Amino acid sequence: MRDLPPTSDLLDLAHRVSAEDLSPPERERHAHLAATARTIAAREAAAGEGWQQEIEQELAGFYGTRASRPQKRGPEARGPNTSLLARLAADLRNGAFETTPSRERAARAILWRLVLAKLREANPQFLAANGFANGTD
Amino acid sequence: MAATQSPPSRQGLARFLAERRGADGVEVGPQELLAGGAIRQNWGFDAEFRGGTLAGRQPLVLRSQGPTGIPSSLGLIEEFAALRAAFGAGVTTPEPLFAGTDPEVCGGPFFVMRRLAGTAQGRQITTDPTLEPELPRVAERLGGELARIQTIRPPRPDLGFLPLVEAAQHIAAFRAYLDRHPQPRPVLEWGIRWLETHQPEPLPPVLCHRDFRTGNYMLDGPNLTGILDWEFAGWGDPDEDIGWFCCKGWRFARLDREAGGIAGRTDFYRGYEAASGRRLDPERVRFWELLANIRWAIIALQQSDRYRIGGEERLSLAFIGRRATESELELLMLLDA
Repeated sequence: MRDLPPTSDLLDLAHRVSAEDLSPPERERHAHLAATARTIAAREAAAGEGWQQEIEQELAGFYGTRASRPQKRGPEARGPNTSLLARLAADLRNGAFETTPSRERAARAILWRLVLAKLREANPQFLAANGFANGTD
Repeated sequence: MAATQSPPSRQGLARFLAERRGADGVEVGPQELLAGGAIRQNWGFDAEFRGGTLAGRQPLVLRSQGPTGIPSSLGLIEEFAALRAAFGAGVTTPEPLFAGTDPEVCGGPFFVMRRLAGTAQGRQITTDPTLEPELPRVAERLGGELARIQTIRPPRPDLGFLPLVEAAQHIAAFRAYLDRHPQPRPVLEWGIRWLETHQPEPLPPVLCHRDFRTGNYMLDGPNLTGILDWEFAGWGDPDEDIGWFCCKGWRFARLDREAGGIAGRTDFYRGYEAASGRRLDPERVRFWELLANIRWAIIALQQSDRYRIGGEERLSLAFIGRRATESELELLMLLDA
């Protein structure tokens, strides 16, 4: 559920690109982003799979099915854990919950939790700037 | 793939400039890769023309294609034509001078324009305390400039290549992209569905800049020196650029200032309404602002694709896809308001 490219790729890229190949304005930006990648990696390591499993459980409850572990590994794996998210995405595209307010509210609640969880790892400052008190870690 | 491209050939560029302006010769000074330009590359340089219609020292910029791009970008020659039309309509832009495809200059299409004074850095503009008192006036001026851009309307033989992209085409393009993206994005899907079911009656099309925002205009002190980056221009709804300018993604350090991080909407709207003679409808603007958030999220993902799929090894590109989630938060806030 975490965004692509995975943070491990960002860290690899940060090491692979030599600052000497960059123009001065790019060099400063690169250093800042490399530091940000390290910070995000630390947050992801601390969080583990916890929030992703919770959302998976919520999706399973929403659809009345059983949450299961992914069959594939790797950043772009579309295992069962993302298949329920893909189902939610498809249902939202088709307006599947628009005639059932309680289902729509429940779907929105999952969307909020997903976005807040991702931003807590990737950009808590942005959450704080938008008035979410738990945006800072 | 290399992280940077080589500068244009000084010899090839000097010959090209001399031919275009009937000069006896041109000396091209050191070239500097300018900041900004996520898709294009902008090389600043001074050129000393001996004779011809540009005799003397001229600060110029050569704009060329980066290693990879995104699908909605115009070609360089088409962007040059859009810039020329805007300049001709009296919009404050860099003066477009020449376009070319001579491979000896930089290996592909390019164009040359006058170099402007000032900065386009959004963070600097939104945080510089000396600019603070002037920013509402800048926002009003930008509203007027946008109205002037919109005086360019189809049909225009010189801009016959520009696509007409209305809300329905945007929606179809967003979904087509998400169908190819490896991760489900349910928030974007929800937002796109909202757009689909809330489309306003279209207005007669005008020229849309489609990247009219803080970060794409130059300020020299408090003075607007030019509107930049016409690579996304096309025909579309007059409120599209209003929504894009106000989109949270372009407020930089000042999320609270809804007109590009520089002022409240009132200042920007006043300048636009006075120059265009058209009263803005807040519901229409809301629609286009929601669309702007989704479009920015998709562009951010496409920029990351230039690393993820295109192999362009720039950390800034790889990272930018993460900003899609920031747009998703804004979508949730707008839709649940």
